[in-house]
Amino acid sequence: MYRYIVQRLIMIIPILILVSIAIFLLLSLSPNDPAVLILGANASDLELDMFRAQHGLDKPLHVQYLNYMLGLLHGDMGESYSTMQDVSYMIKIRIGNTMILCAGACVLITILGVLLGVSMALRQNSIYDNIARVCVLIFSAMPQFWLGMMLILLLAVQWGILPPQGFSTIRHMILPWICTAMGGITVVSRTTRSSMLEVVHQDYIRTARAKGLKEGYIVRKHALKNSLLPIITVLGRYVGASFGGAVVIENVFQINGIGNMMVTGLRQKDIPLVMGCVMISALLIAIVNLLTDIAYAYVDPRIKSQYEGKKKKKKSKAKEVSEA
Amino acid sequence: MSDKVLDVKNLTVRFETDRGTVYAVNGVDISLEAGETLGLVGETGAGKTTTALALLRLLDKSTARVESEAMLYCGEEMSEMSEDQMRKIRGRDMTMIFQDPMTALNPVIRIIDQISEIFRAHHNMSRHDAEEEALKTLEMVRIPRERAYEYPHQFSGGMKQRVIIAMALACSPKLLISDEPTTALDVTIQAQVLKLIKELQTNLNTSMIMITHDFGIVAETCDKVAVMYAGEIIESGSLESIFNNASHPYTVGLFHAVPSLTSNKEFLYQIDGLMPDPMIVHEGCSFADRCKYAKEACFNKRPENTCLNGKEHLVKCHIYSKDIPYVDVRKEVENA
Repeated sequence: MYRYIVQRLIMIIPILILVSIAIFLLLSLSPNDPAVLILGANASDLELDMFRAQHGLDKPLHVQYLNYMLGLLHGDMGESYSTMQDVSYMIKIRIGNTMILCAGACVLITILGVLLGVSMALRQNSIYDNIARVCVLIFSAMPQFWLGMMLILLLAVQWGILPPQGFSTIRHMILPWICTAMGGITVVSRTTRSSMLEVVHQDYIRTARAKGLKEGYIVRKHALKNSLLPIITVLGRYVGASFGGAVVIENVFQINGIGNMMVTGLRQKDIPLVMGCVMISALLIAIVNLLTDIAYAYVDPRIKSQYEGKKKKKKSKAKEVSEA
Repeated sequence: MSDKVLDVKNLTVRFETDRGTVYAVNGVDISLEAGETLGLVGETGAGKTTTALALLRLLDKSTARVESEAMLYCGEEMSEMSEDQMRKIRGRDMTMIFQDPMTALNPVIRIIDQISEIFRAHHNMSRHDAEEEALKTLEMVRIPRERAYEYPHQFSGGMKQRVIIAMALACSPKLLISDEPTTALDVTIQAQVLKLIKELQTNLNTSMIMITHDFGIVAETCDKVAVMYAGEIIESGSLESIFNNASHPYTVGLFHAVPSLTSNKEFLYQIDGLMPDPMIVHEGCSFADRCKYAKEACFNKRPENTCLNGKEHLVKCHIYSKDIPYVDVRKEVENA
């Protein structure tokens, strides 16, 4: 198992390199010139050339990329074109907000999504189940930014219950959390419902009933644990997706986080800034994926023994080779 | 009366499905005394498992309709019990060994936990005490202690079946329903498992319903036999009377379809046709379509139980209720 985790951690490196190449190419090959975007249309040719020379934009593309990656290896994420600050510093002061936003949303997705799904499955085809399914469908079809704006209009502007913008207190965080989580809640609840329904009709649930166990215990211990695999898959996906969703939500609610900064950076073609934000997000998503896979093994002993089986097989193979 | 562990009269089970009503069990009577074993024999789809599940009230309530004149468990009417009372009986007094050991165990829970939770549910034991009891139960079915902490996928089929037997016998039940406990096993383990069940049953003085389609198992384990066909018990009686004196054309046919070491036949006897569609209600005898001796009366009138030889040997067939001329079914089949 540990060997497997280490293997997967090492695999993150090539993933990050590929992501960096893709983003760097996309940014560099897009038609706008960062010098013009930052200094303005009125800047003289001399000023523009000086800007390009200062940031290495006059060098060939592969040299620019290698320079950036060399810096990254030393922990230097470069300097923002627009603010002249270290990108690592800019990320450091903003990542807290993004993490709070995403973590809160993930907690909401997990708790509400699973609870809703289980309650729907237990009352399959009842009025509750049917109404909940329609609601879930409606909310899953709603774009995040639209939901955000509607919630601001209703709860903040009309009723004045919650503040429309900012991210300083828990009261400020409620609406952004709901908006980021909504998509995930709908998908997780539907996955939970179908997965639970499949498990509830399995023979071992009947065995559990025949043992005279209480219904609540059967649902928690016997049914839910077996239906967790697909739920974890979807959860992992939405934890990753919430980093992407943060980009939109941070803009709607004017939250000073990475997503917001990345959009600003994109408008000005601030390559180091955007690269830094994307690399951090990619790293986080890769780690979440790894956690998902570890969670599989934790939930299902059959998967765990597969990992261990692989290890043993490799060992015996190595033995054969050395003996030969 | 009171020593009767189970007394069921006229049990019917219907399933309401989208395509119509399925008549799975049509008027089954079962009575069982303490320590007695009843063999419930029949083809696949005859309603044996459904009968068993109906007794434990484990059928899906959204589709299954269970009705009965009487369903007495140790003198108490089961159909009047609340869900909670029923839950307390299940797993403690009335247990079931399930057919397929591969799917009957929860794949993500350790064996020991799957057994100790029975003790925790019924005897309010602490986790530690329950685990200790579970280990003892596993030793009873000869599963070593150190294997108890493994998961079902690490067990062989025979071991899984033994775990299921251990679960069913954990709380020394008064009534054990064994639903084809050996069909998923190979022959060598079959014998072991049967011996084990029989042993434990005698030690605990448990009554048992043995569901099977194997007459060999019936002969080895049962005191009474009931033959089921299309949701009805068409013939029932003591082991001897059924084996020596099978009377219903279907039962006689079944016995002649069992290969024998002594007879010199090239082909076994065969009952033509298939079990009738359980969605059709028969006006007459449900076996009439496949019966070589069926007369007009068989298609129009439902046969009632007829007592043979004054003993508790009951047959549902018009040949014996004298509605149609008598045929010596055994002789006819033997010469076929």
